[in-house]
Amino acid sequence: MGHIAVAVSIAVAGFVALAPPARADEPCQSPYVQKLVGQEDFVYVWTLGIPGVGDGSDKLVTIGANPARADYGKVVASVSVGGRHEAHHAGFTDDRRHLWAGGLDSSAIFVFDLASDPAKPRLLKTISDFAERSGGVVGPHTFYPIPGRMLISGLSNAKDLGGKSALVEYANDGSYLRTIWMPAGAEYGYDVRINPHLNRMLTSSFTGKKNYMRPLGELLKDAEAMKQFGNTMVVWDFHARKPLQTLEVPGAPLEIRWATDPRHEYAFTTTALTSKIWGIFRKGDGSFEAVAVADVGDPGKVPLPVDITFSSDDRYLFVDTFMDGSVRVYDVADPRAPKLVHERRIGSQVNMVSQSWDGKRLYFTSSLLANWDGIGGDDEQFLRAFGWDGTSLTPTFSVDFRAAGLGRPHIMHLGSMGLAAARGGDAAPGPAR
Amino acid sequence: MTHRRLRAGALVAALSLVVLASGRGVAHEGDDVAAASPVAPRFDPPAPGTYELPPILELAPHELLDPKGEHAPLLGLQPGEAALVSFVYLGCADQCPMATAVLQQVDRRISERPELAGRVVLVTVSFDPARDRPEQMGRLARALAPRGRWRFLTAPDPTTLAPVLEDFGQDAEELVAGAVPGARFSHVMKVFLVDGDSRVRNVYSAGFLDARVLVNDLLTVIEER
Repeated sequence: MGHIAVAVSIAVAGFVALAPPARADEPCQSPYVQKLVGQEDFVYVWTLGIPGVGDGSDKLVTIGANPARADYGKVVASVSVGGRHEAHHAGFTDDRRHLWAGGLDSSAIFVFDLASDPAKPRLLKTISDFAERSGGVVGPHTFYPIPGRMLISGLSNAKDLGGKSALVEYANDGSYLRTIWMPAGAEYGYDVRINPHLNRMLTSSFTGKKNYMRPLGELLKDAEAMKQFGNTMVVWDFHARKPLQTLEVPGAPLEIRWATDPRHEYAFTTTALTSKIWGIFRKGDGSFEAVAVADVGDPGKVPLPVDITFSSDDRYLFVDTFMDGSVRVYDVADPRAPKLVHERRIGSQVNMVSQSWDGKRLYFTSSLLANWDGIGGDDEQFLRAFGWDGTSLTPTFSVDFRAAGLGRPHIMHLGSMGLAAARGGDAAPGPAR
Repeated sequence: MTHRRLRAGALVAALSLVVLASGRGVAHEGDDVAAASPVAPRFDPPAPGTYELPPILELAPHELLDPKGEHAPLLGLQPGEAALVSFVYLGCADQCPMATAVLQQVDRRISERPELAGRVVLVTVSFDPARDRPEQMGRLARALAPRGRWRFLTAPDPTTLAPVLEDFGQDAEELVAGAVPGARFSHVMKVFLVDGDSRVRNVYSAGFLDARVLVNDLLTVIEER
């Protein structure tokens, strides 16, 4: 009990450290979720089904990712949810025991148990009344854990399938809590990310279901439809869940990443249609400004920036561009002046990227949306793993998701046997290599 | 491959797993993150009553042991009161003491707020009943010298405790001895705000455990009646 008394005496003396700068973060994770800082054993891949490929259904796929294990670079497990729902994003619960995964078409939410056997997730529950319970929100996108709850950003609404959307909260047990519609003048939704140190939440904006479910080639030719994309980000008081400020960020600002160091009071996003990196900077008066800080490739060629990841030391921003299948790495030590330091083609198309805590391993997947992916030879479907040494990416392994009968791989999250084993579970750690 | 060898490999892997409630927050079991320097939160909490705290969970009544070893209700709330409930174990080196420290700050702040004094109950519950016996909880209570109502509870056994943890959604799993140096349990440190109708109205973890916020949330819940 001695250390408790010491800690208490420190607290009584004054400030209790609430938000010291952790050195690192799995860049895609909420600050409220447990962190995996060592070597990951698995990559969980939420995968869209393709008619005629395997069982044709959406599925959660486990890929071995630890070079010390015999299943490195192999498909370890696959659990199908039945049917195609436009599998898209997913997120751990705050205790990392469950993974919530959504379908942008059906609005179904699948809750997987990861704790019982991290190698072989199990479908625990399906929430099939998201639209009804939320008051008409459809297209559950980001699954962002907050203590005891899951915060879900929607993309669209059931009434007109346009971009007006909302944030929806659920308890970890799957019960609906509340819906918070996006504010007037900034109705579109996409990502949501919280900075607890500032009590600020940022949201971004994409487009509604009638656009994201259309074939991309057809959509690009429809001038009226192309006007129906978000051009705003919203700064919120997270605790009060109240919008404070709308920022003009033209061209569909998508993924949001806050810096990890709490002294770095900024976040990045990229705009899909205008191909720019934007910095969202806290100003001296506590309000925020959005500043376009760099172009991504040649915006005139519409490379379509999609997923990004921000290294845990706040040094490197990795930006995937879908149309040219490439990743560009920017040194953002000066966040207002990113410098391109590396560029590499990953495949015919690339969408998602996930990074290990230490920034040494990156994983890329190929699929954006079923109707937006390339055609024929431009429709490679893969997970490709790379090592990053601070200057260049080196391939480590690759899994062909089409050849393996799996489908279109989308978001990736990292898993480990470690905690399950430390808990004394009998989940087999798998054979050592 | 023997079972022992399998387990050993897995435990080595466990050493690299950080159990955190907050990526920006405080390192926890097995943490290999560099020591961090405190940085004060940079916000003013929203004023009490200007926001909503919708019910998250409904709790069943539970009975545990007080420092005298006598059966006592977990909450014992009357209508118009509220509680902050924290699950800890006394052998915990980082996040549990942090939760207790913040509750002590809340205890001090409440004693200076007449509209809260007498209407708030702080509850510290051990999830290590085998080691944290009533007398140990009593020792912690004396060390903290509460100014207001602060209950220190433990369970007679893990079986009695299990439905309490289940009800709150509080994870707490005992680790294999030595698997993670300095840690006996895997858990996400959480504090729960409970209203007089036994409904959880907010949940806090290391990333957002701020005595100012807790006091404002207590005022929000108590004054809504």
